[in-house]
Amino acid sequence: MRVTYEPAARPVPESPAVQVRDLWMSYGSTEVLRGVDFDVHYGEVFCLLGPNGAGKTTTLEILEGFRRRDGGEARVLGLDPGDRSGARQLREHTGLVLQEVGVEPYLTVRETLARAAGYYQAPRAVADVIGMVGLAGLERRKARKLSGGQKRRLDVALGLIGNPRLLYLDEPTTGFDPAARRDAWDLVRELRREGTTILLTTHDMDEANALADRVIVLSGGVIVAEGAPSELGGRDAGKARITFRLPDGFSTGTLPVPATAANGVIAVETASPTQALHLLTDWAVREGLELGGLTVNPPSLEDIYLRLTGDAVPPSVPERTTK
Amino acid sequence: MTTAVTDAPRPWGRRTARLLVHQVGYEQLSFWRNPQSAIFTFLFPVVFLTVIGALFSGTGRSSYFDGLSVLQYYVPTIAVLSVFGSCYGQLAVALAARRQNGILKRIRATPLPAWVYFVGLVAHCILVSVIDIALIVGIGRLYGVPLPSDWPQIVAMLVLGAVCFCALGVAVASVIANADAAPAVAQLILFPLLFISGTYTPIHSAALNRVAGWLPVRPFNEALTGLFTGHTGTDWRQLGVVAAWGGVGAIVAVRRFRWVPKP
Repeated sequence: MRVTYEPAARPVPESPAVQVRDLWMSYGSTEVLRGVDFDVHYGEVFCLLGPNGAGKTTTLEILEGFRRRDGGEARVLGLDPGDRSGARQLREHTGLVLQEVGVEPYLTVRETLARAAGYYQAPRAVADVIGMVGLAGLERRKARKLSGGQKRRLDVALGLIGNPRLLYLDEPTTGFDPAARRDAWDLVRELRREGTTILLTTHDMDEANALADRVIVLSGGVIVAEGAPSELGGRDAGKARITFRLPDGFSTGTLPVPATAANGVIAVETASPTQALHLLTDWAVREGLELGGLTVNPPSLEDIYLRLTGDAVPPSVPERTTK
Repeated sequence: MTTAVTDAPRPWGRRTARLLVHQVGYEQLSFWRNPQSAIFTFLFPVVFLTVIGALFSGTGRSSYFDGLSVLQYYVPTIAVLSVFGSCYGQLAVALAARRQNGILKRIRATPLPAWVYFVGLVAHCILVSVIDIALIVGIGRLYGVPLPSDWPQIVAMLVLGAVCFCALGVAVASVIANADAAPAVAQLILFPLLFISGTYTPIHSAALNRVAGWLPVRPFNEALTGLFTGHTGTDWRQLGVVAAWGGVGAIVAVRRFRWVPKP
């Protein structure tokens, strides 16, 4: 089998793959982006994390050249995405996987990819891309006969066919079942190994955690946190969360440390977990109690995310189903 | 410091020509595989003329049909109908739908130049029209309508008409924001326009003919009918009206065309 996606010797230029400074955008009177700054370095997986309507897709659309920004600077592979004269060159080297699937319904998988491959100067081989996204065996099936998940795979394949240096993935696994999602994650990791720079949007913390080298959390058009998934929002700053249950008749007021209760589970957030745990267990032993389901954890990324984005939207709900 | 991506210069002439052929080929494949476009756009004029021929093939010239035989009257007007459907009708509906479901955005994300996409579309529409017209003229011949003699002029006329109708189709697709409304709006324009232009039946109202004379279909009908019935010479006024509509369509299309749906 031919393998055409061997790691190309891609020089790593000094400036970032994507550079965004003070980006502003509004639709009518609604301000969607209010001064966003970030850099995406060559070779990394960079994630825009945020709830629905945070401005993730708008940011991508500006970088892709589909929307004209109202203010600020943007550079993609050294070119201004708002400048039409460089648009063609930019598209030669960027790939897109969009939320809304758009393929000709009456073309087969292979025809759809062969058609797109013809638009690029140095595309990947069609058969290889079909293998990469797991559509082998469905080459002759028409797009209209594909399942929702298979259509998404075809869309991923269209993003890869031009062998891009920079790949945009807009909510790439929305609508995937767990197995398909695992495959997609493996593919992203494989592409990263090959040296593809990836800019990913998601509202799913697991996805950001699993894939991203760096994350920015976008909420209400501003960046509320930035960093590696493991250190996001002071996740590594030593804070811990102690949870347990109390028998009926005890309230949080009787505890020796400040605590909150929700659904019968008592939670203690503390910067000095050793001391808090000692006080709690000491108190429980003296009262002759058993602390049911006692656990000590660092705060989950989900807790941090909800705190950062103001609990606005439950994070794991798919925002759009694929048509 | 610039680190912009750069591409080596390339011989664009050959590559662009190949790209156009590539593009037209896939447009054709999508068109003929889609039963709606193949039947409605392509087959309808053919079936219409076949039925007319079966009903009226024996009848001679009649003053109701401007001194022509029924079939002599319908061969050119149905030819225009097929061009109108293949170009205007097809593009108005298909482009609005492609924008709505993200196909245009997907195309726009590739390095395919916009002009190649549109030239490819127009070439595809002309190709469909040519095949349709060949069938229509062939059916007319079976019913005894003589073949026209001035082919170069007919071809030039048809290409001009096709390009103008394509421009109008793109213009309508650009103005319609909602793809669900596109087929209805396109038909709402198409059907009355064809009717008052004498496509389905001769119009004997001078007022209606004057109005239709300034719209894009009747001048095309008249010019083509003239060529099919052996009148020589070019009617520049008729060509001018069709071309002017094409120009208006092109201006609206260029100014208003969108690759992505409104946010």
